[in-house]
Amino acid sequence: MSDTLLSVENLRVTYPTRKGPAEVVRGVSFTLGRERLAIVGESGSGKSQTGRAILGLTPKPGIVTADKLSFDGIDLRGAKPRQWRALRGARMSMVMQDPKFSLNPVMTVGAQIMEALAFHGRSSRAEKRDRALAMLEAVQIRDPKRVFDAYPHEISGGMGQRVMIAMMLVAEPDLMIADEPTSALDVTVQVEVLRILDQLVSEKGMGLVFISHDLRLVSTFCDRVLVMYAGRVVEELKASELHRAQHPYTRGLISCLPEIDTDVRPLPTLDRDASWAL
Amino acid sequence: MGLLDVINLDVIFGEAPQQVHAVKGVSFSVREGESYGIVGESGSGKSTVLRAICGLAPVSGGAIELGGREVVSPRGRDFYKTVQMVFQDPYASLHPRHTIDRVLAEPLAIQGFDNREERIERALSDVGLGPGFRFRFPHQLSGGQRQRVAVARALILEPKVLLLDEPTSALDASIQAEVLNLLDRLRAERGLTYVMVSHDLAVVAHMCDRLLVMQHGRAVEELTRDALRARTATTDYTRQLLAASEGYKPAEPK
Amino acid sequence: MSDTPMTRRDWLLSDQPASRNQARLGQFYRTWLAFRSNTLAMVGLVIIGVLVLTAILAPLIAPYDPLIGGDLRTERLLSPSLSHLMGTDEQARDIFSRLVWGSQITLVVVALVAVIATPLGILVGTVAGYFGGWVDTVLMRVTDIFLAFPRLVLALAFVAALGPGIQNAIIAIAITSWPPYARLARAETLTIRESDFINAARLQGASSARIIWGHVVPLCTSSIIIRVTLDMAGIILTAAGLGFLGLGAQPPQPEWGAMIASGRRFLIDQWWVATMPGLAIFVVSLGFNFLGDGLRDVLDPKGDR
Repeated sequence: MSDTLLSVENLRVTYPTRKGPAEVVRGVSFTLGRERLAIVGESGSGKSQTGRAILGLTPKPGIVTADKLSFDGIDLRGAKPRQWRALRGARMSMVMQDPKFSLNPVMTVGAQIMEALAFHGRSSRAEKRDRALAMLEAVQIRDPKRVFDAYPHEISGGMGQRVMIAMMLVAEPDLMIADEPTSALDVTVQVEVLRILDQLVSEKGMGLVFISHDLRLVSTFCDRVLVMYAGRVVEELKASELHRAQHPYTRGLISCLPEIDTDVRPLPTLDRDASWAL
Repeated sequence: MGLLDVINLDVIFGEAPQQVHAVKGVSFSVREGESYGIVGESGSGKSTVLRAICGLAPVSGGAIELGGREVVSPRGRDFYKTVQMVFQDPYASLHPRHTIDRVLAEPLAIQGFDNREERIERALSDVGLGPGFRFRFPHQLSGGQRQRVAVARALILEPKVLLLDEPTSALDASIQAEVLNLLDRLRAERGLTYVMVSHDLAVVAHMCDRLLVMQHGRAVEELTRDALRARTATTDYTRQLLAASEGYKPAEPK
Repeated sequence: MSDTPMTRRDWLLSDQPASRNQARLGQFYRTWLAFRSNTLAMVGLVIIGVLVLTAILAPLIAPYDPLIGGDLRTERLLSPSLSHLMGTDEQARDIFSRLVWGSQITLVVVALVAVIATPLGILVGTVAGYFGGWVDTVLMRVTDIFLAFPRLVLALAFVAALGPGIQNAIIAIAITSWPPYARLARAETLTIRESDFINAARLQGASSARIIWGHVVPLCTSSIIIRVTLDMAGIILTAAGLGFLGLGAQPPQPEWGAMIASGRRFLIDQWWVATMPGLAIFVVSLGFNFLGDGLRDVLDPKGDR
């Protein structure tokens, strides 16, 4: 993991509210190489906001500040819309949780995938079509030609999610931010999607930020884990060493999950300490 | 014969050309005081079974018996004093303009219970919410607190059977543990019978004595908790679910 | 809560209201706070407030009698001056006084239409949406029939049958304005009908009437109120139009539309006779539109947190 793809220092996201500004991400710092990095936390921990801020997708009126936010040597702070357009889709992309809201209902799947290639070199229409079809095949869609001409409502949710992933991957980005990409999927499809992401990291050297609430999944899928609580990173560790976590929050998150083989009753619950949020 | 018997249940939605056969010939029997689980993925028909039991989905074939007597459609008012349900999404199951007080008072008014003030206060304290919550609106509560209110609403009519439709899948893991503990405690205290639907094998294994695995509207197999722990599942599908619940395994080299 | 004395504001905004009324008032106050921060909505509210006050206090505000004019030889068609703020008309009546009294007519039209059309629309829409099936088909086809009548033409027919007058105009307007509310209420009901909180109410054994009245209607009303407020401008204009055609309020009643009609003969030389009531209609319509927009920002359930 020598070459750094993304480096983030003291990232903060603030939203103005009636009671004054509310900081939802409070000084997050990390670097990402060509690896699988997980950001784990509960709802409201700021994990999704962190992912969006990196891609400049913080919804208005949110304000993003950082001491450093650079992708492959490019300073992303204050990047112009034109710069973002050149980067997003082509070099960095994001997979969202629910495919239904992310696909355009009045465009065929194929047209949407080819659109993702629009900023990507001057290839001909036939070339683009071939690449789109190849990508659909790569995400384990059995009948790529039919899906290519289908509209989003004609395909199932699990297929929609795979189409989304195909769309995000067709331009072969260097950085992918996946926000709960599999939680809307059935377990059997989930495994396939994870396998594709895994391949891209290990074979094409993509950097992956995997945002999830599922510690068990993350511990088996990712290389490193950032645990977020109340807008801060409370602990960073290797995924394989999650069971040796030091921070009481991480430990609580692990122990409160029911398990098939053990019968802990009642389940341990988290006593949130006010000092964690400081 | 148990307290709740589902016999060869079929549920069909819609008219002939666009018919959806959501549940196909599912049978199971739940004994009094037992906790029974139904596991499956989205579209397996597991929630539809629960909805058919309480009358929110049509019983197109087969029968549902409660205490040995077939339940009729539409359900009578008394049916709901015996069977209540907790829904999956606590953000959608509470009326956005009703205070918690109104949420809890309404079932009592409909069913003509007395001592309403007392019952409301006790219901709130039973689910671990203080009296300070009574006059709040749902938007002033967190997801876990809302689900506690939903449990209180279901239990305020003192039912025998509680149908739980993915009661924790919309909640964070730490909140899930709190709600599961609450449900566990209430069952022990009141001798309730649970039928719990979930996509999470670990949750069902934790909560239920026996479970039914469903896929594409059919029952795949019925297992006890011990059989699940001993990995003696007989069908491929159950084994797949078990494997997936243990996390991601890198592909074996082909 | 603490030993510092609680202000009324803290009491209203409390996260832990101690009684039903505190919860309700608190909710109301929060809505008011959101509304107050919307400048245009406040402008609209002030305009409507002034209209209501003017109507109530008309006898005190109006300096002259609205119906009986002054000396026809010396006081006809006087231009605006200090003694006649908006001038006088062809019968030597003070236009300002007539406008002030006319606000009562406008307000009565608006209020009656709202009181007749809104509940009718909500009732038809929620019942159709909740029950679906043939109930829905029958009710919505009836709605379509009413929707198919052009408002002004139906009003004309009504007035022709029953004789001209402000009451008949109001009835005609009300009958033609409820169908859009029924459609809106039905659409809202369709989205609410299958939600889990309605299912939960069914599982308590609640009757359909109870569910519609206690659960569905409260969620429909806000969007209907917004729509009615925005339609008010159109209703005022229709009433004025009927008055202008001589089918609404009858002379010598100081109805704004009728005033414009009588003033149009003098439009070139005595512009104020027609312009002043025109301005009044314009300002009040604008006020209702501002108010409606503001209400939309505040009440729209999609904005709820």
